[in-house]
Amino acid sequence: MSANGIDMEDVSKLLNALIDRINYLIDIKKDPEWADLDELLERAIALRNVQFELSGTEYRNRLERIEDRVSFLEDRVAEKLTPAEIVNIVRSPQRFTLQDILDNVYDSYTELGGDGERNVDPAIVVARATISRRVKNKIYSHQVMVIGHEKGRGEEFRNGGSAKPWGNAKALQYMKVAENEGIPIHFFIFTPGSFPIEDYPGAAQQIARNIYAMARLRVPMVSFISEGGSGGAEAIGLSDMRLMGSRGYYSVISPEGAAAIEGKIREGERVPKELIEKCAEQLHMTAEDNLKLGTIDKVIDEPRLGARRDDFAFFRRLRYEMIKATDEVVLSTKSFKTFRAYALRRKKAEESESTTFDVVVNWSLTDAETKRLLAQRSRKYRDMGTSFVIEPEESSLPGLKDVKEGLKNCYYEARYGLLKTHRRNFQKVLAEVSGEGSVIIRTVTEPVKAAYDFVFPEPERPQRLHRANGVDTQSIFLEEWEQYVSPLANEDRTVTCPNAEKYGCQDLWVPDLYGESCGVCPTCGHHFPLEYQWYLKNLFDKDSFQEFNEHISSGNPLNFEGFGPRLKRDMQRTGRHSAMITADAKIRGIKVVVAMLYSNFRSGTVGTAEGEKFVRACDRARITRRPLLAYIHTTGGIRIQEGTLGVVQMPKCTLAVREYIDSGGLYIVVYDNNSYAGPVASFLGCSPYQFAIRSSRIGFAGPRVIRETTGEDVPPDYHAARNALSRGHIQGIWDRKDFRKNLYDALLHMGSPSLYYR
Amino acid sequence: MAGDINLNDLLRRYRTHPFEDYVVETPHTGRLQLKVEQGQEVKGPSGKWGQKPGTLLFVLERERNPKKVYSRNTGIISEVRTDLHEAFVEAREPVLTVQHRLNKEEIIDRILKEVLSIYAAPQRARYFLVPEIAAQIEKNIEKGVSIKKGDEILIMSLMKRDTILEYDGEPGVIYKVYFQSGQTVEQGQSLLGVCPPAKLQYVQKVVQRIRTEWDE
Amino acid sequence: MPKERVLIANRGEIAIRVIKALKELGMEYVVVYTREDAESMHVRIAQEEQGQFKNAFRISNYKDPNEIFAVADEAKCTAIHPGYGFFSENFRFARRAALRTRPLVFIGPRWEVIRGLGSKINTKRIAKELNIPVIPGSDSPIYNEIEAEEVAEELFFLQKEQDISNPSVLVKASAGGGGMGIEEVHHLDAFRRVYRRIQNYAKRQFGDEGVLIEQCLKDYHHLEVQLLGSQHGEVVHFGTRNCTIQSTGRQKRVEVAPGFDPHLYEYPFDAEKLLDEIVRHSVKLAEYVGYDSVGTWEWVVTRSGQPYLLEVNTRIQVENEISAYISRIKKRTSETNLIREQIRVAFGDRLGFDQSDIYFEGTSIELRIVAEDPKRGFTPWCGTITRLDFPDYEWLRLYTHVPQDRPYRIPTEYDPNLCLAIVWGADTEEAKQRASTVLSQTVIKGENSAGEPIVTNLDYLNERLDDVLQF
Repeated sequence: MSANGIDMEDVSKLLNALIDRINYLIDIKKDPEWADLDELLERAIALRNVQFELSGTEYRNRLERIEDRVSFLEDRVAEKLTPAEIVNIVRSPQRFTLQDILDNVYDSYTELGGDGERNVDPAIVVARATISRRVKNKIYSHQVMVIGHEKGRGEEFRNGGSAKPWGNAKALQYMKVAENEGIPIHFFIFTPGSFPIEDYPGAAQQIARNIYAMARLRVPMVSFISEGGSGGAEAIGLSDMRLMGSRGYYSVISPEGAAAIEGKIREGERVPKELIEKCAEQLHMTAEDNLKLGTIDKVIDEPRLGARRDDFAFFRRLRYEMIKATDEVVLSTKSFKTFRAYALRRKKAEESESTTFDVVVNWSLTDAETKRLLAQRSRKYRDMGTSFVIEPEESSLPGLKDVKEGLKNCYYEARYGLLKTHRRNFQKVLAEVSGEGSVIIRTVTEPVKAAYDFVFPEPERPQRLHRANGVDTQSIFLEEWEQYVSPLANEDRTVTCPNAEKYGCQDLWVPDLYGESCGVCPTCGHHFPLEYQWYLKNLFDKDSFQEFNEHISSGNPLNFEGFGPRLKRDMQRTGRHSAMITADAKIRGIKVVVAMLYSNFRSGTVGTAEGEKFVRACDRARITRRPLLAYIHTTGGIRIQEGTLGVVQMPKCTLAVREYIDSGGLYIVVYDNNSYAGPVASFLGCSPYQFAIRSSRIGFAGPRVIRETTGEDVPPDYHAARNALSRGHIQGIWDRKDFRKNLYDALLHMGSPSLYYR
Repeated sequence: MAGDINLNDLLRRYRTHPFEDYVVETPHTGRLQLKVEQGQEVKGPSGKWGQKPGTLLFVLERERNPKKVYSRNTGIISEVRTDLHEAFVEAREPVLTVQHRLNKEEIIDRILKEVLSIYAAPQRARYFLVPEIAAQIEKNIEKGVSIKKGDEILIMSLMKRDTILEYDGEPGVIYKVYFQSGQTVEQGQSLLGVCPPAKLQYVQKVVQRIRTEWDE
Repeated sequence: MPKERVLIANRGEIAIRVIKALKELGMEYVVVYTREDAESMHVRIAQEEQGQFKNAFRISNYKDPNEIFAVADEAKCTAIHPGYGFFSENFRFARRAALRTRPLVFIGPRWEVIRGLGSKINTKRIAKELNIPVIPGSDSPIYNEIEAEEVAEELFFLQKEQDISNPSVLVKASAGGGGMGIEEVHHLDAFRRVYRRIQNYAKRQFGDEGVLIEQCLKDYHHLEVQLLGSQHGEVVHFGTRNCTIQSTGRQKRVEVAPGFDPHLYEYPFDAEKLLDEIVRHSVKLAEYVGYDSVGTWEWVVTRSGQPYLLEVNTRIQVENEISAYISRIKKRTSETNLIREQIRVAFGDRLGFDQSDIYFEGTSIELRIVAEDPKRGFTPWCGTITRLDFPDYEWLRLYTHVPQDRPYRIPTEYDPNLCLAIVWGADTEEAKQRASTVLSQTVIKGENSAGEPIVTNLDYLNERLDDVLQF
C-alpha cells in the first residue's frame, strides 16, 4: 500500500496491460502513426515515470483516459479488420502459441524429443498429452499425441515456427507412434511456412512423406490452424477434421510473397504496402474465406482482435472444440445412428454455449471403424474443391458415368485379376519353346536414337535452311529423320553451352543441337531445355498418346484480379485448358497412364483443375492396373491465384496416388527442367521412384525465396539434379536420350506383380 | 634453411610496384563490340562462389552468337585497342590490358612461389590434374592434399598423347595449383606449389609476416 | 563470273598442296592458322602471296567449326576444302556448310554420303546387300549380352572351321573409332568380362553402349582403291595402293602404288585377279551410293587371298599422290592431280574422261618422314628443327610445311610430321632404289629443350622399304 491509497502494484499491472494493448494495435495496423498510436504509447510510458508525483486520483484519471482511448481504437480496428491486419494479428508476438495451448487446453503433457533449445528442431513440438472432459461431475481423460509448431516468444531457436526438414521428420515419427498406440493426433499449425533448405531429408521431400503417411494413418486426426503457411502447414495438416481460429490465416503464400510475384518486384526492392494488402485480400486467406471454399471444416471463434496468451476463455473453448471434433471423427466411423444422436445432443448443447459434455466417447477404433475412417478421409479430400472444377458435361445422362466406371472395373478385374496367372504361364511356355526371349530383350534395350543408325538417304539435296524470322518454320530435318524435331532447331545460329568454361565445349550450332543432339551438348552432356511436345513424340509408341479429360479447365475460382486474362492468354497460346495433360500411352507396347505438367501453361502450376485431372489419372491407372508416369516438364508449384484451393491439391493428389500405390501400382516420377514447391512436396515427392532428367533442378523453394527466408545465399547449383541425388531426394538421373529405354526397363523391373502385364 | 628468402627485399619490390597486368585476348574470331574505355575501373567476378561475373569488357559475336567477355580481375583499363571496335577480329588478339593492384592474398601467393617447392612444366604442353587429385583438391580446400614421390599427379597432353606425370619432389601438401585445367603451360612455368611438412611452419610464418606487414 | 574463293580448313602439307591445286585451277584461297602454327609454311605462303584481300586468318582451333564458318563469311569464301583429318569426314560440318543461311560448297562428297559411309556399320550393311565381302561379325550395334555372346561364339566356331590358329575376336565400341575402345578376346570364356568393360567404356565415352563384335584378322595386307566420282553419276578408279607398313597405332609410314606387284614377287594367290576384284567391288559400291568426290575404299587381304572391305574414307588421303603419280589420263598433257579433280567435281564439273582413258605406268612410293622414335614406341619428338635439306630429282616430289630458311619449333599440339617424300620409278625395283636414295640424302638437324639431337624415322623407313609389297 502506498501513501496515497493506491495499490501501486495493481496500477503498474494495469498500465503494462495498456501498453501491451497499444503495442498490439500497432502490430495490427503495422503503422505506429495510425490514429497517433505512437503518441498514445508515449503518453502511457510517460505515466510510468510520474507514478509517484501524481495524486492517486489524478493518476487513475489519466489511466482511464488512456484506456478509454485504447478501447475506442480497438473498437474501430475490430469494426473492419482487413485480411492483411489478420495476418498481422497472427504474427504479433502477443498471439497465443502452442505452449499456451499445451498449458491451458491439455491437463498434462510430456514433450517428446525436446526441452527448449535441446531439440532436433525446436520449431516442431511433439507431446504426449492428456485432455479431459467433465461428464456428470466425473472427469474423463483421453490420451492424445499433440504435434505442432512452436513460434516461441521471440527465441531465435524456435525459428518462428518454420520447421526444418528434420523437424517434420520428427513429426512423422510420432504420428506413427500414435498410430501404433491407437491414440488420436491433435495437430496445431502455427507456421509461416517450412524452412526452405534441401539438406536431408529435404524440405519438399519430407513434407511429401508426411502427407503420404497421413493419407492413410489409422487414427483420428484433428488439426487446428492459427497460421497456415502453405506447404509447411500441410506437413502436419492432413486430418479428418480441420479447425481454424477465426483470426488465423491459411494461405498458399504470404501476402508479401504474392505481392512480390504479382508486382514483379525485384529482389531487395520494397514491396508497396497497398499491393500487399490487396494480395492478402485476393488470396482468400481468412478463416471465413477458407470455410466458404471448403478447405476447412469449422471456424473457432476467437476474441474480436484475436486470442492472446491470457485469453483463458478461448482456451476453454478450444479444449471443448478439440474434444468435440475428435468425438465427431470417431463417431462418424460408427453407425450412423450413434453419430446422429450425438450430433443432435451437441446442437442443443451448443445453443446454450456450453463447454461441457454429457457423453463420453471412447477414441479407440476397431479395424472396421479404421477402414471407414480412411474411406471417409479419402472422400473428404477427393471432394475438396471439386465444386470449383470446370468440367463441361460430357454425357447428358447423369449417373451414366458411374455405370461406365463400374463396368470398366468389372472388366479389368476379370481380365487382369482372374486371367493373369493363366496368361503368365502361357507366356512362359512361349518363351521356352520359341527361344524368343533374347530377341525380345534386344529390341527393347536399344536407346531411343542410335546416332549412327541411319538408313542410306536418297541422294537428293534437301531444301536450304532459312533464318527463323517467322516466315519459314518448316524444319528441314523433319522429313529426313522422319521424327519430331524441335522447332528450336530451325535457326542458323550458335549458342554457348553453360559449361563451356569448365569443359571447353564448343559453341553449338542450333540445328544440330536441337535436332540430332536432342538438345544435349555433345561435349559435357548438358541438357538444354526442350519443349514438352518433344517428349510426346519421342517417349511413347507412335500414335499411342491418347489424352483424356482434356475438357477439364483451369479457372479463376477466387476471381483473382487480373488473372482471368492471363489464363485466357495461356489457353490460347497452348490450345489447352490446364497445365496438366493426362493421357493413355504405350511404351514398347506396355500401356501406361501419363500425367504431365508442362511449362507453357502458367509455368506448370497446380490448381483445382490440374489436381482433379491428376486424381482421375490415378484412379484410371488403379482400375486398369497400369503403371502411372508423372512426367514433370516443369512445375512452378501451387497456383497462388487459387489460394488454399490450390494448397489442398497437395493432400488431395497425394491421397489419390497413395491409394493407387497401395493397390499395387507402379508410380514413377520423372522431373525435367524446373520442379519446385507444393507438387514436389506432395504427390510427386512421395513416389518411391523419382528420377530426374540431367541438368534439371528440383527443390522446395527457389534461390530468392531461400535468401529472403534464411538470409543465406545458396550456391548456383544448389538445386541441381546431381545434388538432389546426393541428398537422397531422387533415385537416379536419366539422360534424355535414354529416357524411353530407362522407362521401359523400369516398367519391366519395378512395381508389384499386380500390374496388368505381369 | 634451403629455400629461405629475403622477405624484406621481396616486400620492398612489391611495394614499389604492386601491380600486375592482365592482357585480355579474344577467345576466338568474331565481330567485336567494346564495352569499356581507357582508364575505366573494372571489377572481377564476385559472390561467394564467384557466380556473379565481373565487368563486361566486350562482346564478341560469331555465327550470330554474341558472347560476353567479362573481366576476371579488378583493376583499371590501362590500354584498350579502340581500333578493334566493331571490326572482325582474329582469335587471340590482345584487346585490352587490366592493370590490377595486387591485394594481400595475391602478394602472399607470389612470395610463396619463392618459398614452396615448385613442380614446373617439363614441356610446353597442356596440363590437367589427374581426376583423383582434382577431386581431392575440390573436396579438401582447407586441408590440402598430400603427395609423395611416385604419385601420379598430372596429365601432360602433348602431340595428341597423354602422358601421366609422377611427382618427383619432396613429399608435402599441394599448397597451390598455378594453372587452369587444360591450359597450355610453357616449359619451366610453375604447375604446383608443394609445401613439405617440415617447411609448413616456415611457410606459415612467412604468410603471417606478410599479413601483418603489408598494408593495402 | 567472280572467281571461286576457297577456305582451306587445314594445316601443314595438305594445306600447301591444296593451295597449289587451287592456283592451278585459277581459284583464290584463304588459309586459317592457330597461334602455334604461325610459322608454318602454309601461312607464310599465303601471307607472301596476299593480294587485294586478307587471305590468312588466325583462329583459336582448327577443330572449331564456328571459327571456320565465321572466317569463311568474313573472307567472302564460296567453298571450304577440309583437307584430311579435322572436318574432312564430318558430315555435320558438311551439312552445316550446305544448309546455313550463306551456303558454302564443301569440297568433298555430299553430306549424306559422308554420313552414310562414315558409319562402318552402315557401310557393312550396304556392302553385304551388294555381295561385297566384309569382315565376319555383327552388322549392327549390340546392346544385349546374350546376343553378343552368341555372335562371339559363332565367330570362334567359324575360325576353328577354317583351321585358323590362335583364333580371336575384337570387341569394339560401335560409336568409337581410331583404335579407341577396342579389345581382343582369345577365349569365349573371357568374352563377357571384356564385353562389359567395352560396354561401360562406350557408355562413358560416347554416351552409347552399343558394341560391335568382329573376327580378329592377323597376317593381312592393307590395300586401298582410289576412286573419283562426280555429281553426274560418273565413277572411275585410279588403281590400288598398298599401305601395310604402319607404325604402332596404325599410322601409315610407307605406301606404294600399285597394291601388289606379281611381276616382282610371288603371292599365295592370284594377285592380279584379286586387285581387279577389289576394284570392281569398290566401284560397284560407289556407283550404288552415287559417290561424288574422291574417296578411298580400304581393304584387308588375308594370306589366303580373301579380301574384306574395311571402310570407306570419304576424303582425300595423304597418300593420294602415289596413285596420281602412276596414273596417266589420255588427252591430258598435265600430270594427274587428284586434289585438283576433287575441287573441280565439287563445283559440279564433269570428269571429262572415263575409265578407258586412264592407264598406269610404273610404281610410286610415299615416305612419311616424322620426328618420332621408332625404337621407343614411335614416341613423338618435340623441339626445334634447325636444318632440313632434301635432294632434288625430277622423279621426286616433296611436301613440307617446315620452313627451310629459319629454325622451326614443332608445335606440340599436332603430329610431328615433317615431310612427305614421293618417288616414282619405272618399276618397283627402281622406285625402291630411288626411295632409299632420297632417305640417305635427306639431312635433318635439330635439338630439343634438353639439348638432345632430333630423332627421326629415316632409318626405320629405309629398313621397312625391303618389306614393301611382300606377303
